[in-house]
Amino acid sequence: MRAALDNPTNALLPPHAPEFAITRREDGITAVSFTAMASPCEVLLDGSDVLEASELGRRAAQEAWRIEAKFSRYRPDSIVSLINRSQGNAVVVDPETAALIDYAAQCHALSGGRFDITSGVLRRCWTFDGSDRVPARAAVAQLLPLIGFEKVGWKSPRITLPAGMEIDFGGFGKEYAVDRVLALIATQFKGAALVNFGGDLAANGAPVNAPWQVGVERPDRDREARLLLELTQGALATSGDTHRFLLRDGVRYGHILDVRTGWPVPNPPRSVSVAASTCLEAGLLATLAMLHGAAAEAFLSQHAARYWCLR
Amino acid sequence: MQLKRPASPLHLGLMAASCALLSHTARAQSTDDPEQPLQLDSALLYYKENAGRVQTVEPMVSLKKDFGDLRVLDGTLTLDALSGATPNGAIPSRKPQTFAGPSSGSLTPKPGTKTSLYTTAPGNLPQDPKFQEQRVAGDADWSQPLGLDDTLSFGGHLSAEHDFDSIAAHGGFSHDFNEKNTTLSAGVSEEYDRIHARGGNPVPGSDYELYEHEGSQTKTVTGALIGVTQVIARNWLMDLNYTYDHSRGYLTDPYRILSMLDTQGNVLGYRYENRPETRDRQSLYWVNKVALGPTVLDVSYRRSKDSWGISSDTVDTHLRIDLAPGVYLEPHARWYHQSAASFYSLYLSAASPLPTDMSADPRLAAFVGTTFGVKFGMKVGRSGELSLRVEQYQQKPSDQSSALPELRGLDLNPNLKANIVQLGWHFEL
Amino acid sequence: MHVPTLVRFTVVLGLFLVLAGCGTLGVKPWQREILARPEMALAANPMDAAIDDHIYFSKEAASGGRSFGGGGCGCN
Repeated sequence: MRAALDNPTNALLPPHAPEFAITRREDGITAVSFTAMASPCEVLLDGSDVLEASELGRRAAQEAWRIEAKFSRYRPDSIVSLINRSQGNAVVVDPETAALIDYAAQCHALSGGRFDITSGVLRRCWTFDGSDRVPARAAVAQLLPLIGFEKVGWKSPRITLPAGMEIDFGGFGKEYAVDRVLALIATQFKGAALVNFGGDLAANGAPVNAPWQVGVERPDRDREARLLLELTQGALATSGDTHRFLLRDGVRYGHILDVRTGWPVPNPPRSVSVAASTCLEAGLLATLAMLHGAAAEAFLSQHAARYWCLR
Repeated sequence: MQLKRPASPLHLGLMAASCALLSHTARAQSTDDPEQPLQLDSALLYYKENAGRVQTVEPMVSLKKDFGDLRVLDGTLTLDALSGATPNGAIPSRKPQTFAGPSSGSLTPKPGTKTSLYTTAPGNLPQDPKFQEQRVAGDADWSQPLGLDDTLSFGGHLSAEHDFDSIAAHGGFSHDFNEKNTTLSAGVSEEYDRIHARGGNPVPGSDYELYEHEGSQTKTVTGALIGVTQVIARNWLMDLNYTYDHSRGYLTDPYRILSMLDTQGNVLGYRYENRPETRDRQSLYWVNKVALGPTVLDVSYRRSKDSWGISSDTVDTHLRIDLAPGVYLEPHARWYHQSAASFYSLYLSAASPLPTDMSADPRLAAFVGTTFGVKFGMKVGRSGELSLRVEQYQQKPSDQSSALPELRGLDLNPNLKANIVQLGWHFEL
Repeated sequence: MHVPTLVRFTVVLGLFLVLAGCGTLGVKPWQREILARPEMALAANPMDAAIDDHIYFSKEAASGGRSFGGGGCGCN
């Protein structure tokens, strides 16, 4: 399972044809799988028949695709693209987008400025494809004036993004989708459900027979030797850089960037998994831990209840 | 494994922020609309035509309640008090003309019979000066969703006045698709009217001198509508409706007559009008609403044709201009043109054979109607609005004169000018 | 030129189907903020519309078209 961060090559993929698959497992769990947000997604339902699972799965997938279409910066008609094209003009946003921007603002404040949804412009000079193409200092320095949530004019429901700046919700979009889809299923399904979008997952109760068995991938190890967790209720999110890095002169540059310098955070962990009551919470804590680099464990021991930090 | 400890301020802050986001968006995305307050809409209309003709005072009150989930009940009560002089269909003459009012027992004074006659001076348009009418009308409408994309609606109407009663019902269905960008609607309606003129309904087409009357008559109107509403752009909405209606029964106006003239233009007598027993009408109505910043432009065009030979075009535009938050000015301009009914004529000629269908009612003549007006609206209190609308309507008929010697210089169908003032009040209970 | 009613009806129906089939026209649900304004509703001023309809019904031969008349009066 990988971290919930977007991949630039997704821009080349056409919008997927909506489709999903339903499988019935031996332990009585029905699994609905589909693709959304460039990740394999699944919804596990305990004690549901195929007909009910089909309906629930359809609604879950539609909600995931709705969130993706609405907030993806790769879709030209999304609200995020609209805001990013606004050239400094105010954009009035709907209540859902306003709530997400409020959340981003609060996370920015709580993290002391480390978490910042305007950091996306750094993509213009950083491409973490395993090569050795590290950008020049000057190129990165030029982008710094275009970063900083404090520069964004936000008075709900009006957002004024200075020209040249960009926002994107990739930092918590998938976690938001997981929590939303789980809440949606809970209104219509009385049994236990688990929603897993590419490794960010949440469950609202344990199946009748046994708790959910969740495996966390360990970087640089066999797929078999995974960390196995038992989950009854709550969420788990993982942040990691197993496949996204640059390697130059023996120095490994992880893809977690420090918005204050524009450069990767030094000595980040290889992977951080956090368990919390909601996926949003778990995901933010995992991301913040990565942003603390060498001090990740200290951060986690101070702020997170259950975590797994791997170097 | 780590030990459980009290959550740090940062963790608590994050928990609170996450919960706020999830509960807020759950509420915002919910399809359950809560119950809305009762909305009251009222208007007082004052309408007055020139030359001592019809004037009316009409108060209207409407109450609307949304019971939540878009189930809406709408009720309207209308009171209408008309008075003034109304043309009776005869044309001006160089000699004085005497007519009997509708409640008169006979055309000439007769002992034992209550007569009410009026005389029109030479050159004037004959009109009944004592025209008076009061009307009460009630409407109720219900609409509710049927599933996520469909709406069902139905309603009824009742009205009563001294010489006319009406009851009607209608039902409709609409379907949204294309992410609610397109809506298809269809509906049907049925109306049943009873016409019982004062003094009895005159026998249509009969000689005025005979003063023959008959009992009350009825008519029915059946209608159907199909429409499509389409969102064209973020600021542009369009609606196209096709309506068809079929009327059957007593469609004649019981109070109107036609002058019977000789070849010189002298008045020989009068005849009651007679309209066909059926009327088929089709209309195509197209309306656009475009927002240009805070200003909203409403432009509509309607084309109508019926089996009486009348075809009409209507262009109606409103422009709502925001002067300040909650204060607006809305100028209005309307242009209307209709062609005359096939059986319309200013007068009858004794020399020609008597037609079966005939009418000199100016409302069936060819004319151009123009309206110019402006509405001023102002927000009051938390959710109320006061408005004032002032308009002028003018009708210019195409046929207003005749070359006949006795009629030269006479205006046979004068222009109509009406002033309209409407006070409006809207608020939420 | 007298165009048969059936032909006319077919033309109008065709116009409707073409318009209704315009799947590419429209906006996304979050782009409806302008259309949601009360003055952009088709029934924005129901009182004014009812009063106008009544005035023009009693003074002109054509009537309605926007929706159902919902009942007559003795004025025409």
